[in-house]
Amino acid sequence: MRNFKQSQGYTIIQNWMESKGQKPFTFQSKTWERYHNNYSGVVVAPTGFGKTFSVFLAVVIDYLNHPNKYKKGLKLIWVSPLRSLAKDLAKAMKTALDEIGLDWEIAVRNGDTPTNIRRQQERLMPDVLLTTPETLHLLFSQKKNSKWFKEVHCIAVDEWHELLGSKRGVLVELAIARIKSLTSNLRIWGITATIGNLEEAKEVLIPYKGLKTTMIKAKEKKKIDIVSVLPDEVEELSWAGHLGKKMSHKIIPIIYENNTTLIFTNTRNQSELWYQILIEEAPDLIGQIAIHHGSIDKKQRNFIEDAIADGLLKAVVCTSSLDLGVDFKPVDCVIQIGSAKGIARFLQRAGRSGHSPFETSKMYAVPTHSLQLIEVAAVKEAIKQNEIEARIPYVLSFDVLVQFLVTLAVGEGFKPKETYELVREIHAYHYLTQEEYNWCLHFITQGGNTLKGYEEFHKVVLDEDGFYRVKSRRIAMLHRMNIGVIVGEVMLFVKYFSGGYIGMVEEFFISKLKKGEAFVIGGKVVEMYQIKDMTVLVKRSKSKKAITPSWLGGRLPLTSYLTHFLRLKLSDAITANFREKELQFLHPLLKSQEEKSHIPRHDEFLTELIQTKDGYHLFMYPFEGRLVHEIMASLIAYRISKIKPLTFTIAQNDYGFELLSDQEIPINEENIHQILSKENLMSDITASINASEMASRKFRDIAVVAGLVVQSQPGNRKNNKSLQSSSGLIFRVLNEHEPDNLLLKQAYNEVFDYELESARLQTAFQRISESKIILKNASNFTPLSFPLKVDSLRGTMSNEELSKRIERIQKRALTSQYL
Amino acid sequence: MIITKEINCFNNELVLTNQRALFWKAENSLILSDLHIGKSAHFQKSGIAIPSSILNKDLQRLADLIFHFKANKLIIVGDLFHADYNKDLDEFKQWLTAFKDLKIILVKGNHDRLLNSIYEDFNIEVHKTDLKIGTIKFVHDNVALEENYFSISGHIHPGVAIKTKGKQRIKLPCYQVTKQQLILPAFSLFTGLNTRDFPEKCTNYAFTNDAFFEL
Repeated sequence: MRNFKQSQGYTIIQNWMESKGQKPFTFQSKTWERYHNNYSGVVVAPTGFGKTFSVFLAVVIDYLNHPNKYKKGLKLIWVSPLRSLAKDLAKAMKTALDEIGLDWEIAVRNGDTPTNIRRQQERLMPDVLLTTPETLHLLFSQKKNSKWFKEVHCIAVDEWHELLGSKRGVLVELAIARIKSLTSNLRIWGITATIGNLEEAKEVLIPYKGLKTTMIKAKEKKKIDIVSVLPDEVEELSWAGHLGKKMSHKIIPIIYENNTTLIFTNTRNQSELWYQILIEEAPDLIGQIAIHHGSIDKKQRNFIEDAIADGLLKAVVCTSSLDLGVDFKPVDCVIQIGSAKGIARFLQRAGRSGHSPFETSKMYAVPTHSLQLIEVAAVKEAIKQNEIEARIPYVLSFDVLVQFLVTLAVGEGFKPKETYELVREIHAYHYLTQEEYNWCLHFITQGGNTLKGYEEFHKVVLDEDGFYRVKSRRIAMLHRMNIGVIVGEVMLFVKYFSGGYIGMVEEFFISKLKKGEAFVIGGKVVEMYQIKDMTVLVKRSKSKKAITPSWLGGRLPLTSYLTHFLRLKLSDAITANFREKELQFLHPLLKSQEEKSHIPRHDEFLTELIQTKDGYHLFMYPFEGRLVHEIMASLIAYRISKIKPLTFTIAQNDYGFELLSDQEIPINEENIHQILSKENLMSDITASINASEMASRKFRDIAVVAGLVVQSQPGNRKNNKSLQSSSGLIFRVLNEHEPDNLLLKQAYNEVFDYELESARLQTAFQRISESKIILKNASNFTPLSFPLKVDSLRGTMSNEELSKRIERIQKRALTSQYL
Repeated sequence: MIITKEINCFNNELVLTNQRALFWKAENSLILSDLHIGKSAHFQKSGIAIPSSILNKDLQRLADLIFHFKANKLIIVGDLFHADYNKDLDEFKQWLTAFKDLKIILVKGNHDRLLNSIYEDFNIEVHKTDLKIGTIKFVHDNVALEENYFSISGHIHPGVAIKTKGKQRIKLPCYQVTKQQLILPAFSLFTGLNTRDFPEKCTNYAFTNDAFFEL
């Protein structure tokens, strides 16, 4: 320790900080020292406390101490998930180095970097390169790329928690493995926020046995103030989900009290609606309030972001589009409308306000229905206990592996054995078998296992010198365009007929619109005029009846961490000595639930049977999140229909699900245990859902990543039109002609792991089997069942054959002029 | 299994089949569109692994139809070939040797851009824009209707999307029929469905493996 603190490098940095009246945080100096002692590791720190400088200055100090160990060229690769962060980060690094007196070149390289700058970098790499996982892989696809990485001493991965739970994490793992194989003494560092599986996060980032690893946790903590916005009376808040419009008069004063407020909603749809509500309620906010989400034109978004940074806006209604990104200094308040669905997300959003180290983040939670107040109490409890969601890393993603192999083949070519050893070392492919690897090689060289099936396919060729290479320039070009794992929905530009971009909408939404129909986008009401070359041409509309686009993907389920605390809070809620104001406020409602039916304690599982003029309702409350409930509902319907064939209407929300039938549901104290049994769970689920349809949906991303679908860019004029096909079509074709294709298998695996959340389902059934099962007959809807009753998202489950089903639908279609 | 549905248009008896082609009794002809032969090989050439067995299946289906109706003529209303000459076309040529007496007539589609000599080589009678036989006009993409003709076209790959109350959506190929025109489903199974465009006042004859539905 003494030794390090007396080193020249440390002294220089220490003096530099002192000259600015600063002192390093303990976690920073600890990082520097560990780095000095040749450790790799992970730094866990909240934003705003200089986590960048922990790792960055560690490299600088090491250089200052051993300048002759470093040669010309790339020394530090800084990987971050967001392009937008890079510029500001590079500026901050440059300023620091200027003041310290080190003449390193720091450069940004990502999708926005102009070609001439890239060529310049390729001639002489900067000392520090700030980039994204995708751009790193693009570098691998260049000729003679390995020379750039020979002198790299450190690869740092910023916001590792954001990358870990996605296929982009796999890209990072692969990139590190390759760079490590090209350089002699690489140190790997990750920077992450607190997550539930930090040890695993470290293991995934640094799986190499030969490296010394460490984890450094900052003691500094962000202070967070969570305030529930309560309506005046409990009755004012609907039992069921609605927009909470009535709460708008409570929100306006909050906006006025603070400098700049970010108002988070969960879907783009809701953000459009809330924007309208707020300007209606407070017209003098027009011009000072903006709307920001992923479907708004990028230029417009940048403009809004700059306006926030400059303090020109009072409020911005946004979605997860502003979860991450550059710090907005003026933001001193955050409002969350509805549920944040998870603890990490809640914290992330709260952290967008009061950004500097010792400020407090202020978060107002506005419930859109009464039960959400319990959620707020649950989040508070989780934060108190420091329980935050884990990010589960992807494994055996064959699509990413296939892409990586082709990337190498486009670049310098690869030898199969060495590359197998390289990928087997990383977490994602630790269990990759030789057969699976051979299949991937087969897939990129011959297309598939069918002999003679792919005569014109020569994507990757095995050369005489034992290297796999891509020979065709056209294939190389198509592949480079396709590198990456972020697969967006097919989006169309929305443009005024008279010119001028407004934003983007999903093709899915537009496909349902007819010419002349009005919809809302970016706070404007427009009517659809024409679709041409991936662009929707629209005109301004005065229509009062505009539809708000329902963008897909807005319906995240509650995380299992949050539902755990939710069950505990609900369980406590009815006992008299609660202090939380949310629970206090809800007391009348909870009392009514207890009187009409029952409030499930933490070791109980509640089922309600209610008969109304609509029919016979069965309600179950597992509190496991929407996705799990969707599957459970199908499963329970399937198991009941084995007792007595019935057709059910199904509804679900984050708390439970409903089965509705026109006949009495044969469920009682005797058979309910059987129906909720954990035995034969997965086989019953497979029988009760349409797995192939779900897999087909999952296959969309896989097909793009593996290069089976050429993505078209919005606004582009028909490029590669003769190569367009939908992933659904390819899924069907492969299912029929190449059933052994590993990418199909991956699609089914992803359905089980992510769509069915099979692990979570099994845990849930385990918990239910250990719970006391309560079966209640209620004479009317209860506070718990009512939200389900009005949930508009209803599915039907029936075991009729397709043709019969269509006939039935057809009849309905004729009466309601469906087409 | 071939399921059929008879309709009458301008006094022509047309037999719709669930195999994506219709049979015209008076001319003993099968009428179809959008075979896109060469598509899988074209994809393969660009490094996209689509199995060639798709073509085998399409051709097998076509052979079954020819035998079933004892047809002696194919009228193809466009997009016979998908792109450049490739090995799929050789396979098609090989397949043709089994049908020495079959006459093939093509009304060119937007994809049919090969040299005339190639069509000659295949012994295909080519019509550049349209073909009129009796009261029927064959054209690839019908833009303007002609008053005294019933039009039969392809190009748009028509389909219907049937949405159930839940999230599920079923898409089926269909024939779109109005008083004056009929749009054929794409014959090749390696084609997508367009469920957005409908002529005015049209009946959709959608089909599955075992049934027809009028929508």
